[in-house]
Amino acid sequence: MIVLDKTYQKGEYPGVIAIDPGLCKGCDACRRHCPTGAITGMFGAVHSIDIAECINCGQCLINCPFGAPYETVDPIDMVISKLKDKSIMVVGIIAPAVRVAIGEEFGLPAGKLATKKMYGAMRKAGFEILDNNFAADLTIMEEGTEFIQRARHALFNEESEHGHIGPLPQFTSCCPAWVRFVELYYPVLLPNLSTAKSPQQMAGAVAKTYGAMHVWNKAPVKIFTVGIMPCTAKKFEASRPEFNSAYQYLAKEGKAGASASYPDVDAVLTTRDLSTVLKKMNIDLAHEKETDGGTLLAEYTGAGTIFGNTGGVMEAALRTAHKVLTGEEMKPLEFKKVRGFKGVKAVSVPLMDKKYDKKVTVNVAVVNGLRGNIKPVLDDVVQGRSPYHFIEVMNCPGGCVNGGGQPIQKNGSSWLEAAMPWFAWK
Amino acid sequence: MKKQTYQYAESPFNMSRREFITIGGIVIALLALPAVWIRSGIAKRNSYIRARTKGLYTDDTQSKVRVSHGNTAVSKMYTDFAQHPLSEISEELFHTHHYINRRAA
Repeated sequence: MIVLDKTYQKGEYPGVIAIDPGLCKGCDACRRHCPTGAITGMFGAVHSIDIAECINCGQCLINCPFGAPYETVDPIDMVISKLKDKSIMVVGIIAPAVRVAIGEEFGLPAGKLATKKMYGAMRKAGFEILDNNFAADLTIMEEGTEFIQRARHALFNEESEHGHIGPLPQFTSCCPAWVRFVELYYPVLLPNLSTAKSPQQMAGAVAKTYGAMHVWNKAPVKIFTVGIMPCTAKKFEASRPEFNSAYQYLAKEGKAGASASYPDVDAVLTTRDLSTVLKKMNIDLAHEKETDGGTLLAEYTGAGTIFGNTGGVMEAALRTAHKVLTGEEMKPLEFKKVRGFKGVKAVSVPLMDKKYDKKVTVNVAVVNGLRGNIKPVLDDVVQGRSPYHFIEVMNCPGGCVNGGGQPIQKNGSSWLEAAMPWFAWK
Repeated sequence: MKKQTYQYAESPFNMSRREFITIGGIVIALLALPAVWIRSGIAKRNSYIRARTKGLYTDDTQSKVRVSHGNTAVSKMYTDFAQHPLSEISEELFHTHHYINRRAA
């Protein structure tokens, strides 16, 4: 199955989405959602995905009226067998956008917040909970500190204790489709990406080091981490060969417990996949008891949970940056100007840097929906005339809540599939 | 042969100006209905994205702590394990320097 392509590293999944030629009607709907033009095929002819250009976002999959695109990576049965193996602890890393969408698969209305029911259902299935919102808070601490370091370096020539300081503007690095987009189309901007890993990868690294040692008292090799994501590109991200930092760290300390390397995140389930896992185990999420996460690593704040919305990372980062720079909490905490569905949202934030006793104005931008929105912003950055210091980019329109791994809504453009049985010739 | 007389006058049909406007209005309203259906259909099409977005903002307002630096579990993780953001352990576990130019041969 592994076909090595030149835009993939060894060990990575070479594209996680393909189009079923038997179902494709050549209607071009997918092409109108593809951010990179990776879909080839004439109107009316069967389309196919060029994996060398594909960034695995899955927008074609959730917007196809015929359900032709499918995921080539299916870890459902593997996860179920790990859940049944009592010697292994399966840690579910729940992304923010999953909790407001999973209910749709079990008959709850769209947007119903089902965090506690999800905890209940997943713990019944045998998962330990690591809420990815915890890792989102951790991301803000790391990425926010990195941004302040970069900004102070650019403005006041502050040096770091160790390591190289990247240039401004700083781009967020949470979205794996966006990271691959930069790697493919704007490699000159790679130094501008935040070096902070995405919350999923941080969560995997935390689970197998701190979690194993301090929270669960379990050998790292006995921990199986499963990302539960609204996203198909996360499957690709988890397979990137460099993301085995827990193993590398533990090997240095002599605690790895295995001679072969293991990844930080062992498997990734999309929201749809998780609902399949629960259904196969006869668990009805809608009627489950509401429970708590049960561990320290399920603790999260409001700033972490809004990561799933476009503008959420920026809003959370501004809340913390405000506290670090001025010493006071932002009032009000809501930062409405970065919310909403506009493709590019730009805001200037005047702040007082207590450490240098100087006023600084931070220009931030939020981009959602790469297709049609990102190019002008990036071209400005490449030519050195971008006014921004910090730019949040999410590939999917609306952010992760509309990710490629989310439940497919029939009242979206996939309504045709539901209407088909009404036609006699079907 | 008896000469026949024909009356070619049309049967009288009286419609007042008001009636004409009323009927015309109804016809145009019926013609416009499909356009309204289509437009409201398009407006409703992405309602689930709005609903999910609202759900997450509700989760935010319901939370007791709403700022990342106030997460006690994260601070405990730093004191027990990773020291502080951008520390040596943090750099090793939470950062990556492996972004690659995928077009390079």
